[in-house]
Amino acid sequence: MRDEHIIDILESAPFAALSAAEMERIREHTRACADCERAYEAARLASVLIGERAAATFEPPPFFQTRVMAAWRERQAASQQWTFSRVWKATGALVASMAASVVLLASVTFFAPANTLQTDTAFVSYPYSTDEAIIAQDLQFEDEMTYGDVLTTIYESTEEAAR
Amino acid sequence: MARGGDESAFAEIVRRYSPRVFRVASRFFRRRAEVEEASQEVFLKAFTQLDSYEGRGSLEGWLTRIATNTCLNMLRSAKRRPELTTSDLSEDQSTWLESHLAGAAIERQREAERGEVAADLAERLLETLSPDDRLVLTLVDGEEVSIKEVAESTGWSESKVKVRAFRARRRMREGLEKLLGGARTTRAESAKSAGER
Repeated sequence: MRDEHIIDILESAPFAALSAAEMERIREHTRACADCERAYEAARLASVLIGERAAATFEPPPFFQTRVMAAWRERQAASQQWTFSRVWKATGALVASMAASVVLLASVTFFAPANTLQTDTAFVSYPYSTDEAIIAQDLQFEDEMTYGDVLTTIYESTEEAAR
Repeated sequence: MARGGDESAFAEIVRRYSPRVFRVASRFFRRRAEVEEASQEVFLKAFTQLDSYEGRGSLEGWLTRIATNTCLNMLRSAKRRPELTTSDLSEDQSTWLESHLAGAAIERQREAERGEVAADLAERLLETLSPDDRLVLTLVDGEEVSIKEVAESTGWSESKVKVRAFRARRRMREGLEKLLGGARTTRAESAKSAGER
């Protein structure tokens, strides 16, 4: 019920910006409605308080400029130091990973079992060119049975069974 | 010049615009130390982001936007008071409320003193609002900044600013109504005990 009264008017605009007609409507209504009167009083005080709060501002102190510039220099120095330390750390990590790779490769080369190496060598030294691959593929197809061969084999085995 | 990292140009920017940045930070923080810290952060951020300033609008407007966003973020990360009750108020603040209820009593207080207490009380009430609501209320109702200007400085739509203002007024009024109810009760009790004596 209260919301149907003057509350919406009070909240629709800053209190100081309410028109004369709106204020008259509010006054008229609050004479008869205690709830709206309390809301009106609170809105009026809120407006006073916000006004006082908005007026309470600070001026920069005399050495503010010096302080900001000192903080700026400090921040820049810190950021440069941070960049250097990051580059340094990244370089360290790179060198360490390279050393680890070298050690791993060396251990695989010198300490791996001999037969494995032989097999690998045999596999690697197998002559294998594009031409040879195509020829090998053709030979494979020659080895395969044709459709006719399959039928002959089936019928031959059926006739043998009948006999 | 400042874009090239010229320190004297930076210093000139601080000298020229620090009053403006302080005014913006004062909307958000009540203590001088907080205002100074926020203002310093605004300038440091501005120097870092100076390359992003395209020179279309004024430098003051650009700094105001940085100041508004920096202060809003600082306020968002700070703890918010959920509610303010009469027992949380200082004696001065309770007296201010009571004297306003009594009417003419406020005239007895000195102007400056009155303003300080009112500003403190307002701050305590504003602390119960969200940082966004608080900003809109201070700007629109306190400084009579237009909805359009608030929208520009925050990057929000005008309808969002209007809705926030409406909601913030309601919350502020409800919080104050609650306090006034408490102050009325206190006043009635003290009047009763004075009558008994």
